[in-house]
Amino acid sequence: MPINTLSNIHNDLDGYNQLVKLYEEHKDDIFEKIDIELQVWFDANLSALLGGILDKIKNDGLNDINFTYIKNDIQTILQKNGFLSFYGYPKVYDTNHTTIEYKKLKPSDTRYFNQYLEDELLSRAEFPNMSEAVHDKINESIQEMFINATMHSETDFIYTCGQFFPKDSRLNFTIVDTGIGFAKRIKKDFDIKITSSDAIKWAMVEGHTTKQNVSGGLGLALLKEFITLNKGKIQIISGDGFYELHDNNEKIQKLDSYYDGSIISMTFKTDDSKTYRFASEEDLF
Amino acid sequence: MTAKHIDLRVKKIYFEENIMNEVKVNIFSIVGQKDCTLPEDGDKVHKTIQKILKEDKKASISFLNVQKLTTAFLNNAIGKLYGEFDETKIKNSLSVQDLSDSGKARFKRVTTNAKNYFKNPDKMKESIKEILGEDDE
Repeated sequence: MPINTLSNIHNDLDGYNQLVKLYEEHKDDIFEKIDIELQVWFDANLSALLGGILDKIKNDGLNDINFTYIKNDIQTILQKNGFLSFYGYPKVYDTNHTTIEYKKLKPSDTRYFNQYLEDELLSRAEFPNMSEAVHDKINESIQEMFINATMHSETDFIYTCGQFFPKDSRLNFTIVDTGIGFAKRIKKDFDIKITSSDAIKWAMVEGHTTKQNVSGGLGLALLKEFITLNKGKIQIISGDGFYELHDNNEKIQKLDSYYDGSIISMTFKTDDSKTYRFASEEDLF
Repeated sequence: MTAKHIDLRVKKIYFEENIMNEVKVNIFSIVGQKDCTLPEDGDKVHKTIQKILKEDKKASISFLNVQKLTTAFLNNAIGKLYGEFDETKIKNSLSVQDLSDSGKARFKRVTTNAKNYFKNPDKMKESIKEILGEDDE
């Protein structure tokens, strides 16, 4: 089998296209030996996606995954965030404290996830500029997205990973599931056939939910509001739909391949000085 | 007895009746921990409040010691009530204590959203068809 090369993987359409192509090409393989090379660059938070994809390929088809080449600096960061521990490499201590550990969690691990978030976000001294309000909003946003994945995706596992960029006060966090994705969820719950892009577009509207007899659809709406004020970024991938919100600009594009589950990547600006005060709501009901 | 005295007595009786009819709902105690994030935990709270409202009693809901609160939790705990009880009954029977301003903001979003949702349960299906329709234009 030819070697699969992932080269210069960033949080952008090309990066997702390369990763999802790897999934599509090998998802039906059985008892194959799959060789992978990581070249030039790999955005560490996307370990969550690579982990989800490789796990699916490895477990569904009992395939053997090997990293035949990993560029030095990529290898170091993926050893620091614990991703390569799943592929036989030793863990490397993160002296710079910029990684947020790669995790493979069961949907029922919510309590553990809460603790992980607290440990990875709360106990950080690297961001003196991060106000309590921004910290809380980031925490809240990630929490909502994790619960969304546990509720809707029917996934076996949820994969998460983050990365801090202290120099430009940025935090990336990615949550990946290998479940049924947005469009299939809608088909299942409402019996309506819809494209992945339309399904994502629909889900981004406040109050839109596939849950029956319970209101919902606020998590993504709240995230969108916060990210817009915070000047961060949201990327959602499901099926062949790629949604991005950045600089007040929403766009939907089509991926070259199809990813069965869902991916959400969030970029937060940690030096945001807004206070995020809330009008005191007295009339709650 | 002066009018002022009568007024005070009426107020006292009203207050006592209210206290007798008011049940304290301690979210932390029902969920068993500081993180109120899961819809399943919201269901436990919902069951308690549902019972109280069915008995025509009032509930004072305390969020003391609750640290994390998701809309997924609140949708099930509180939002669901709007599908079962009249809006006015909910408004007159429930009160909230010990909730931060950001918590209150989320709470308000959840109740407003729930009222809209239960006014037209078919709205979700319609809204999907609207998105599909946009593509045909």
